Amino acid sequence: MVITFSLGLFLGIILIVMLLFDVDIPKIAFLFPVIIAGSGGIISITCFKKDRGPVKFDERDKLIEKNAHLAGFGAVYLYVILMSFLPIGILGEEASIPVTWCPALLIGAGFFQVYAQSLAILIQYGLGGKNVEK
Amino acid sequence: MSKSNLTNNIRKLRFENGQITQQQLADKVGVTRQTIIATEAGKYAPSLPLAFKIAQTFAVPIEQVFQYQDDDPQVSASDTNA
Repeated sequence: MVITFSLGLFLGIILIVMLLFDVDIPKIAFLFPVIIAGSGGIISITCFKKDRGPVKFDERDKLIEKNAHLAGFGAVYLYVILMSFLPIGILGEEASIPVTWCPALLIGAGFFQVYAQSLAILIQYGLGGKNVEK
Repeated sequence: MSKSNLTNNIRKLRFENGQITQQQLADKVGVTRQTIIATEAGKYAPSLPLAFKIAQTFAVPIEQVFQYQDDDPQVSASDTNA
């Protein structure tokens, strides 16, 4: 999920940068990063579903989940700080932004939270892959 | 607490106790196999109840399963004196 999210994010950034440099891109192209990012959940559920035995959730999972929530909260906090100051830095002190940006910022915060949480889970589970017996 | 300071003999004890698998041990103590893998590798420090459960499964004292070495020489010295 994190991989497809990252790929979607990367493609999205490329498209936005291209747009800033006045490259003529069809609007439908912006759908591809969204589709790629969204496919992550479906792929992870269908292809990487593992039989985890009778115990599905234990103390380590709880700890990983807690750390992931903290990472998600930290990411949103960082996002809010960045979004509070970036427009001033980019547009200047005298500029104004449309109010329709506010809901978009909220969606962005949600995305950052999910992304940071997924990344934290991947890193924490990914580190324990050795010493596995068949 | 550094995780590397906590060592364990789970792997050795598993083989000494009828070669039980990681999954079987996980089922006995009520955790996932991934938790046993991480604990065995020293990448996860289990909770006290889980540590005791593992020791009880092998019918040995907890010190025989887990060993902790403190890097702080003062703490180690006071442990030895006590």
